[in-house]
Amino acid sequence: MRKTVHTRMAGLALALLAASAAGQAPSEEAYDYFALNCKSCHTIGGGALTGPDLKGALDRANRDWLVKFIQHPKAVIDSGDAYGQSIFRDARGVYMPDPPGMTAALADKLVDVMEVEGALEKSRFAGLQISDRPLTAADVDFGRELFRGEVPFASGAPACFSCHTLAGAGGFGGGQLGPDLTAVYARLEGRKALAAWLSSPPSEIMTPIYRATPIESEEVLALTAYLKDTSATGQEAASNGTLAFLLTGFTLAALILVLFDLAWRDRYVATRAPLVALRHAAEHTIKPTALEGPHS
Amino acid sequence: MSDTLLFGVLPYLAVGIFLIVTIQRYRQRTFTYSSLSSQFLENKKHFWGSVPFHYGILFVLFLHLAGLVIPDMILAWNAVPLRLFVTEATGLAMALIALVGLVNIVLRRMQVSKARTVTTPSDWIVYALLGVQIVTGIGVAIFHGWGSSWFATSLTPWFWSLVRLEPELSYVSALPFLVKLHVVNAWLLIGFFPFTRLVHVLVVPNQYLWRRTQVVIWNHDRHTTRSVD
Repeated sequence: MRKTVHTRMAGLALALLAASAAGQAPSEEAYDYFALNCKSCHTIGGGALTGPDLKGALDRANRDWLVKFIQHPKAVIDSGDAYGQSIFRDARGVYMPDPPGMTAALADKLVDVMEVEGALEKSRFAGLQISDRPLTAADVDFGRELFRGEVPFASGAPACFSCHTLAGAGGFGGGQLGPDLTAVYARLEGRKALAAWLSSPPSEIMTPIYRATPIESEEVLALTAYLKDTSATGQEAASNGTLAFLLTGFTLAALILVLFDLAWRDRYVATRAPLVALRHAAEHTIKPTALEGPHS
Repeated sequence: MSDTLLFGVLPYLAVGIFLIVTIQRYRQRTFTYSSLSSQFLENKKHFWGSVPFHYGILFVLFLHLAGLVIPDMILAWNAVPLRLFVTEATGLAMALIALVGLVNIVLRRMQVSKARTVTTPSDWIVYALLGVQIVTGIGVAIFHGWGSSWFATSLTPWFWSLVRLEPELSYVSALPFLVKLHVVNAWLLIGFFPFTRLVHVLVVPNQYLWRRTQVVIWNHDRHTTRSVD
C-alpha cells in the first residue's frame, strides 16, 4: 500500500517534471486555437501541407524564435532571417498570415502544443484522414455541383461560387470576393493540402463562416476532385465574365430609361413649347390657310 | 482598432442619432418632414433626375434589406447560376439608373438658378453621401461580385450580431476596402438622415410609386422651415 502511494507520487513528480521541462502543460485554449487557426496549413507529425510539419519544430528553432515568428511571420521573413526565408521557400512563396488575436503568451502556449503533441506517437493534429481512394468522374460532377451551389452543402455552408470563379464557370463566372480557383490544386500542391484547407478554411473571411458550417469530408473529397480536374484542364486563367456582366448591366439600364420615357410620355413638360411644336408640325402637314392665326 | 470604431461603434452611434433626432424633429418641427419639391421651378431635368434615382435606389435598397432579412431565401435563389446572374445584372442596372438620376439631380441643382436658390448645405451633404454610396456600390458589384450571395453570408451575420449587441467583427474585418467604405458610408447616411431632406422617406405615402405626377407649390420661407437647430 505504502509502496503504491510512493510509486504514484513518484510518477506524479515525474509527470510534473516532464511538464515543466516542456514548458507549461498546454491549455485547452491553445489546443482550440491550434485546431481553428493552424491545422489547415500545419500537421504535427503528418507531413508538410502549405506550412511545415511542426513535429520537432523545437529541434529546428529555439523557443524564442518560434514565439517571435508565430506573432509576426511576415515581418520575420521580410527581415531576411535565414530560417524564415527557408520556410518561405518551402511554402512556395506563401506568407503565413498574422494569426488573429496572437500574443506572446499565446504563441508560447502554441509552442507547448507543438512540443507535447510532437512527442506523441500519433498526434491529434497528425492531419486529416481524407480517403486515398482514386477520384472518379462522379466525384468531379458532385464537386462541380457543390462548387456552384446547385447541390447545397450538408451543413448549409455557402457555395464556393459566391466568392470564387474558375475556368469554365460559364455565364458571367463566379464571384470575385476571393481569388480565382482554377489552379488552386496545383498552387497548394495537391490533394492533401487542398483537403486540409477546405476542411478548415484559414482565410480571414472564410474562417467565421465555415467554423459555423464546416464542409463534410465526402464533400471535401468531391471539391478536391473538381478542383484537380479544373487545374488539369483549365490551363489559362478563368475567362473573365466581368465584361459581359458590365455590358448586360449597361444595356439593361439603358432599356429601363427608355421604358421610363415611354411610361411617362404624357408627362407635363411645358405649356408653350408643345403648342409651338404642334403648330410647326401642323404647318407641314395641313394646308397653311386652315391654320392661319392672328400673327401670320 | 479602427475596425472596432467603424464596425462596432459607428453603427450604434448612427442608429442612436437616427432614432433620437427623427423623433425629436417629428415632434417639434413636424412640417419639416418633407423633401420640399422644386418640381414647379423646373420640370424637364427634374424628371430625369427624380424618376431614375428613386426607382433605382429603392430597388437596390430592397435587395439589401432582403439580404438582411431572408438571407437563406436569397442564397437558395442564387443557387442556380442563371438566377444569380439575373439578380446581379438587374442590381447593377438599377444602381446605374440611380447614378444617372443622382448626376441629373446634382447638375440640375447646379445649373438651374431657381433650384439652386432653394438648395441648402444639407442637400449637398446628402448628394455627396449618396454619390459615394452608389459609386462604391457599383464598384463592389463590378470588382467584388457576387455580393448578393456573399452579403448574405458575411454582412448579414455581422448585422444581426450588432442587433444582439454582440458585434462579431471577424465577419467584416477582412473584407476589401471598397466594401468597407460602402458599409461605413451607409452608417454615415443613416446618421445624417434625420438632419436632411431624407426624412421624407419616413412619411412617403406608398401611392407615390404609381400615382400621376403632380405639381407642388410652396410659398413659405424655406430657411426658417428647413433648418434643424
